[in-house]
Amino acid sequence: MSQEHEHGLPPKSSVSRWFLTTNHKDIGVLYLITALFFLVFGGVLALLFRLELISPGADLLGSMGYNQAVSTHGLLMVFWFISPFAFGFANYLVPLQIGADDLAFPRLNALSYWLYLFSGILMGVSFFQGTTFAGGWTMYAPLNTPAYIPGEGLGATSVVLALIMFTAAVTLGSVNFLTTMYRMRAEGLRMRDIPIFSLSINLTVWMMLFAFAALLAALMILASDHILGTTYFQYSIDGTTMATDADNPGASLLWAHLFWFFGHPEVYIVFFPALGVMAECFQTFTGRRLVGRKWFIISMVLVALQSFVVWMHHMFLTGINLPIKTIFMATTIGISLPFDLMVFSLIYTMAKGRVRFTTPFLFSLGALILFIIGGITGVFLGAIVLDYQFRGTYWVVAHFHYVMVAGATALFGGLYYWYPKITGKMYNETLGKIQFGVYFLGFNLLYFPMFIAWETPRRVFVYPDGLQIWHSMATVGGFILGASFLLMFYNLFVSLWRGEDVGPNPWEYATSAEWAVSSPPSLENFPGVPSYATGKLEFLDDETVAERTERTPGAAAHGHAATDGGTATDGGAVTARTAVTATAMETAHEVGGEDHASHASFWPFLVSLGGFIAFLGLSGVRTGSVFYLSIAAVGSLTMFGSLVGMTREPFHAPEMAIAERWPFSEVEKMKLGMWTFLASDIVLFGAFIGSYAFVRVAYGWTAWHHDLIPAEHVTMPGLINTYLLLTSSFLVVLAMVAAERESKRGTVAALVGTFALGVGFLINKGIEWNHLFHISTETFPNGWNLSTNIASSTFYLTTGLHGAHVIIGLIICAYMTVRAWNGAYQGDDRAIEYFGLYWHFVDIVWLFLFPLFYIL
Amino acid sequence: MAEPMVVYTAAVFPLHGGDVRAPSAVFDQIFEVFLLLGTAVGVVVVAYTMYHALKYRDDGGGTDPYADKVERPQMGEMPTGGSGGRKVFYSFSISAIIVVSLIAWTYSQLLYIEEGPDPAQEEALEIDVEGYRFGWDFIYPNGHTTNTLYVPQDRVVRLQVTATDVFHNFGIPELRVKTDAVPGQYTSAWFTANETGTYAAKCYELCGSGHSLMTTDVVVMPQDEYEEWYAETNGTAASGNETDKRIAPEATALGGVPA
Repeated sequence: MSQEHEHGLPPKSSVSRWFLTTNHKDIGVLYLITALFFLVFGGVLALLFRLELISPGADLLGSMGYNQAVSTHGLLMVFWFISPFAFGFANYLVPLQIGADDLAFPRLNALSYWLYLFSGILMGVSFFQGTTFAGGWTMYAPLNTPAYIPGEGLGATSVVLALIMFTAAVTLGSVNFLTTMYRMRAEGLRMRDIPIFSLSINLTVWMMLFAFAALLAALMILASDHILGTTYFQYSIDGTTMATDADNPGASLLWAHLFWFFGHPEVYIVFFPALGVMAECFQTFTGRRLVGRKWFIISMVLVALQSFVVWMHHMFLTGINLPIKTIFMATTIGISLPFDLMVFSLIYTMAKGRVRFTTPFLFSLGALILFIIGGITGVFLGAIVLDYQFRGTYWVVAHFHYVMVAGATALFGGLYYWYPKITGKMYNETLGKIQFGVYFLGFNLLYFPMFIAWETPRRVFVYPDGLQIWHSMATVGGFILGASFLLMFYNLFVSLWRGEDVGPNPWEYATSAEWAVSSPPSLENFPGVPSYATGKLEFLDDETVAERTERTPGAAAHGHAATDGGTATDGGAVTARTAVTATAMETAHEVGGEDHASHASFWPFLVSLGGFIAFLGLSGVRTGSVFYLSIAAVGSLTMFGSLVGMTREPFHAPEMAIAERWPFSEVEKMKLGMWTFLASDIVLFGAFIGSYAFVRVAYGWTAWHHDLIPAEHVTMPGLINTYLLLTSSFLVVLAMVAAERESKRGTVAALVGTFALGVGFLINKGIEWNHLFHISTETFPNGWNLSTNIASSTFYLTTGLHGAHVIIGLIICAYMTVRAWNGAYQGDDRAIEYFGLYWHFVDIVWLFLFPLFYIL
Repeated sequence: MAEPMVVYTAAVFPLHGGDVRAPSAVFDQIFEVFLLLGTAVGVVVVAYTMYHALKYRDDGGGTDPYADKVERPQMGEMPTGGSGGRKVFYSFSISAIIVVSLIAWTYSQLLYIEEGPDPAQEEALEIDVEGYRFGWDFIYPNGHTTNTLYVPQDRVVRLQVTATDVFHNFGIPELRVKTDAVPGQYTSAWFTANETGTYAAKCYELCGSGHSLMTTDVVVMPQDEYEEWYAETNGTAASGNETDKRIAPEATALGGVPA
């Protein structure tokens, strides 16, 4: 491939390159640098409160300042540092390791990054809106609601919105990575054969897809409590304090369940990529293949599955009954066992090896040792009697830092390991080893004394005098740990110029494909089409590819003969538009021609910027301030306009000519992306419906209907809407049939019909809501609106979320109608099919909501 | 809540004279065993790890001492596992047995903590605890309410804990009793103190600006002193020298609810 054309991208030295790029390696670098920035941000906050903790009675930050510092430190490190840091590597390396030229949806990938960056900026802005969030990173209810937030509480609202934005980035990223890994592996590479780091990322994104959907539900509900005035997390709705007979007795525990259903898988989401990095470094620097690799992988799969059934071990003291405690104790112990196996697998990988103590290996080995300590202290927490007493103390703090920061330790090893690949330069090994020494010393001096001083309650700035020595040690350790990063930044920065140039592979015994290409790799990644068909990595030239795809159509799979070669878009639900299936021949022909892959798009940046402005505006709309209202409007318009721009932009991401696609060889990539997205949407609605059921059971299932719902809330509008939606779903099928038969008129008519029925649904709902808002009865003299009671909150918010899905569907439908009018889709109904998937899903959701909110 | 029988009866106070195994004793025993075994396992495993790392350290020599025993990975090979998987299984099995048996052993102790001692439990002193920002109300069977917890020595005390504003957690660390204080519902926990003296109760869930200072005293008194004190409470209001530490709702500077 020629160096002259960078596929429409400016050179890396140009600033505009980094705003335009959709290339996975560029975005990986952006992720890494941004995540390191947030590491410093969260780290400085930690140093601030560690400084205050140096003596039992010091008051450096003030009480609210202290609470803000500990809360945002946790949020920044967990959300904005550690996972995105791991995903910097994932972005850079997964396509290289599995033999893909990029991710399946490059613009979506850029969009993920920009949403992540802007969510972090919004988090930063929250510090300047009075106070930021101060209720701990676990955000327990009802302390997380405006009633208990001093001042206007806009900063706290911004944090909630920033987390929603972050979650959107994660969900898009999960869809993208899953589609990539199941559709774009090099020939001969079965799922179990992909390098262990990529495999760990695969399991991580599966967990992310579902866990973050639950978090999204929790955050959307919380944002609604902040902005719209619903009352999910307020147990006392008229504002008085009370001990019993609460208006919404399920409020506090609802949050705890939703949060920990996300929160526990999150632990593994954070740790799995680190495990992957450790395993890679162990293999390379011991010169041994991973011992028990198969069982290592099975263990990871088991953990990923079990991670969704351990969450209540965070809630042992909330009054859950003994059988449930016993079950969760068992699952908790169960999930610790696969980790034992993985640890021993790593230990035995060193046996008969040629262990070289390079910086990356030191960090990996250090991470393993720290993780062993973290794991053992975790078993203490598995014994419920001990857990009761450790609850809310520094034992928990010390334990999870030994686990999570052990993970971060492995990732820093990864940074040294892949630094030569990413930059083409070698870092300074001596300085690297010194940094490890300082880091390891600082780490243990910081966190180990916390075990000894474990009786200190979490998140307090006053502690018994007798514990001062340990807290002082920890503070000193914290500063040593912090200082070690100065060494790392210096080393990695200076080595960009002074480092020795490295060839493709500076590490003896490295095996995975990223080491087989130049450092840094070219924009196209590989000198030919990568293939493992012979059991060993080869790069096939175009002729072989063409030959092979003709001979074995199965390998190239998707013989949807020719397509218009037009635009492949990757906007998920929003841009369900013609997807291109590039055939093998096309790919073979396009080399050097006009039809090469696109890499530049400005829209992802603009969409995210618009989203940021809109969310910043939303954080203050409840004050009625003109400033906030207007920027909310400006931001929304920018975002919407940019989404339309992104959809209309010609962007070409060809499918691989030859690829391993088990088990989705029959599922085209847009379709797979849509399915994956809907899977997470199912969890989102599931969490909303689960929340409804939970608060209703806590209130009393039948009393709920009697006490909280007005007689005016009748079944009829819901029934009519059920028919409207069912009919519209049928019309989408007709549109597909018409497109298949190449009847333009039929296609347009069916789409218009779908649109009309959808609009009818919304109008009917509008009339219903308007009526309920303005009823005036004895029980509900002021109408039945979002804030009236918990039943009205669940009704409006859950059906409102569904309504929002309908509106998005209608926007897509309108767009497709125009396209169909202009002659699109004839003979190729796939885009309509993908829209149909979404629309049927929205329909099915309603079939659950209707009985739940109208009949039962 | 007020059970009339309690008001009279010094004599029927079911004292256990220190026979009931206190939660603190249960905790201490389990914690000691875990600390001992945990440290031992930790030292062994970390030493074992370091042993492997150092023993197989590459001495920089050109020859591979294990060339005939293991095959080195090749660039571009399909990832596979290395030999030696059996040892992984043996080690894993040992660790699994240790972990599972340890937890199983603690389970019987958990049942004791969950159910409480019998029969002393039946006539335990029941006290309602209400957490609020930033203090605790202790409500006795006769309705008397205090901000300091007074309990007799050698008697099982059962707490019914809730909160009136946000999520708190009530714990008396030295007596090893702790439970969440969740608004809108009650949780329960029990303890018994075999030594008189003053202990500290703390809040273990972040609840706002005053969280760090949300502590109060727990006074364990000899039986007769407690009875005297209790007899003097008239069952309705807090006694004179009790000050209500409840922060006025409008004190927004301290994170109170804005009026």
